[in-house]
Amino acid sequence: MKRIIIAVILSISLLFAVTAFAEEIVFGAALSLTGKLAKEGTLVKNGYELWKEAVNKKGGIKVGGKNYTVKIIYYDDESDPNRGAKLVEKLITVDKVKLILGPYGSESVFATSAITEKYGAIMVQGGAAADKLYTRNFKNLFGIYTVATEYMDDIIELTKGKSPKSETVAIVYSNDLFSTEVAKGAKRSAEKNGLKVVFYQDYPKGTQDLSTVIVQIKGKNPDIILGCGHFQDTIVMVKQLKDYKVNPKVLGFSVGPTLPDFVNSLKGDAENIFGSAQWTMTLKYKDPVFGSNQEFVKAYKAKYKEDPNYHSAGGTAAAVIFQRAIEKAGSIDDIAKIRAALSSFNEETLYGKIKFDSTGKVTGKGMAVVQIIGGTQKTVFPDYVAETKPIYPKPQWK
Amino acid sequence: MVLLQVIINGLLLGGFYALIGIGFSLVWGVTNIINLAHGAIALLGAYLTYYLFVSIQLDPFLSIPLSFVSIFLFGYMLQRFVMNLVVKAQIFILLILTFGLEIFLVNFMTTFFSADFRSVTPSYAGESLVIGEIVIPYIRLAVFFVCVIFAIAMGLFLDKTWTGKAIKATSLDIEAAMMSGINPAKIYAITFGLGSAIAGVSGTLLTLTQAFSPSIAGGLTLRAFIVSILGGLGRIEGALLGGLILGVVETLSSYLIGESYKNAIAFGLMVLVLVLKPSGLMGRKYYAEVKH
Repeated sequence: MKRIIIAVILSISLLFAVTAFAEEIVFGAALSLTGKLAKEGTLVKNGYELWKEAVNKKGGIKVGGKNYTVKIIYYDDESDPNRGAKLVEKLITVDKVKLILGPYGSESVFATSAITEKYGAIMVQGGAAADKLYTRNFKNLFGIYTVATEYMDDIIELTKGKSPKSETVAIVYSNDLFSTEVAKGAKRSAEKNGLKVVFYQDYPKGTQDLSTVIVQIKGKNPDIILGCGHFQDTIVMVKQLKDYKVNPKVLGFSVGPTLPDFVNSLKGDAENIFGSAQWTMTLKYKDPVFGSNQEFVKAYKAKYKEDPNYHSAGGTAAAVIFQRAIEKAGSIDDIAKIRAALSSFNEETLYGKIKFDSTGKVTGKGMAVVQIIGGTQKTVFPDYVAETKPIYPKPQWK
Repeated sequence: MVLLQVIINGLLLGGFYALIGIGFSLVWGVTNIINLAHGAIALLGAYLTYYLFVSIQLDPFLSIPLSFVSIFLFGYMLQRFVMNLVVKAQIFILLILTFGLEIFLVNFMTTFFSADFRSVTPSYAGESLVIGEIVIPYIRLAVFFVCVIFAIAMGLFLDKTWTGKAIKATSLDIEAAMMSGINPAKIYAITFGLGSAIAGVSGTLLTLTQAFSPSIAGGLTLRAFIVSILGGLGRIEGALLGGLILGVVETLSSYLIGESYKNAIAFGLMVLVLVLKPSGLMGRKYYAEVKH
């Protein structure tokens, strides 16, 4: 009997000791777990969860000599940005959470970041690429996706210093908002790099025929052709470029080459086509939590039995950056200090080398460039983290 | 020279539009059903072709007969056992029925074939006939000929065979046709089957030139609709002409005015035809008048 009493007292005191020791740091996230963005929302959540596990396994986030166990409160916004905004308000006012991990989707980030800004909470997001997020003079929003207008910069960058030199570029884009932004950025970047934009035209979203556009491009014989659209029109464009024997030195798309269906749909015709990606599995970046991007990929595969994509990696990376900033700030609740740490952030993570400009937009990260080589996508740019060298110029159609 | 190329491109594209329009126009003209599920039925043919190509490498052109027969049976059953029950109801009820069918088929395909975009690229894709500066892609040329052949065969079928004549008779005057011993229920089923079969074939050809997913069904129906309005309902020659006009108008307006205006101009043309000649360019009296 005595023994039992002692054991009970001991375990109770132990319990107290543990709770007294391991304090919690609480993050909040309202993302889409049901509805049309359920797939992407869940992937981002997977990213957050993987990070949480990895950090807690190491004893939590270390601030001021103390270890804090990570806890994340999730709400489902049902793919409705307005609901997301209300839930973030609840996170801040009811749950008293001021460290907000972003949702997936530009509209959701746009709506929820207005709430975090209003209440002086802070958000780090890896799930939205719209330029308009950073035009509102917000102080407390930091995003790690390269924005739409910078999507094509790195494909253009890749051609620099290569011979034979590329001098002219044709840009075609679907006339929806996102693709238009991408095309505008591509044009600006091409001109900045001394390329001559010889053709610049939009087409209706989801078009079934681009023959006229392609005949006109053929007349200009550009060195580089950039397509800013969606999967469907990208396929039509590749097929018709081959039909009309248009042979540029570089053929690149904002959407398409990174998806597995690209090679399935186009077979051999997909060869040597470039695409831009926020992130790929093979980038050789180091990471403060996982060690490296490769280690992250390994951990993700072990936990979820599938390959991570840029959505899930974006979630993990946003959380990693948040964590590093909090550690640097030396406080888990002083928003001003955490903001300062994010503003001066300059570290390599699995998502790339991350810095933020004064609007909270990531700078210098750039896009990874992939190329279809031998029927698989290979990361070919930036050079120092790439798998292999790009094939330039693109060989003629077979 | 570029202008000539653009017109050729338009004709080649128009051949495909014609084929998708023929079935739609036939069904509308004869049974008075505006089949909003037409595009979705065409996609059934596309998926059949895609899976045959992926599993046993069957060339898309060789899967045309398979598409035709299987989608014919599908359409025949559908009319015989579903549509015929309400075919005498108001046009509004029929619209709702085909609309529901469209939603069902699109979701069915999304569930079983996924929402991913598919495309078929055989080894000879991208080969072209080059005459001077003019380029004619073989695949598009072949698609064009298949479309024209189907249009001609369909026209001959309607003019020369008993069943064809019965279809025409039913479309012109259903009471008189019944008095001559024609069973309209059966004729309706055959017509809907044929309309669907041709849609299925156009779906088969679609896999070669573009990427498709269940989500494009509505866009295909819309093209069929414009073609039928332009050409005149219930007439094969009308649909053929309507398709070719639509194709050329699209590529020409894209070249002369701008790619993103081509849809606006195509629809503008449709409205113009409706105002000036509501029966369509080749529409005739008694063909597809509202029979209520």
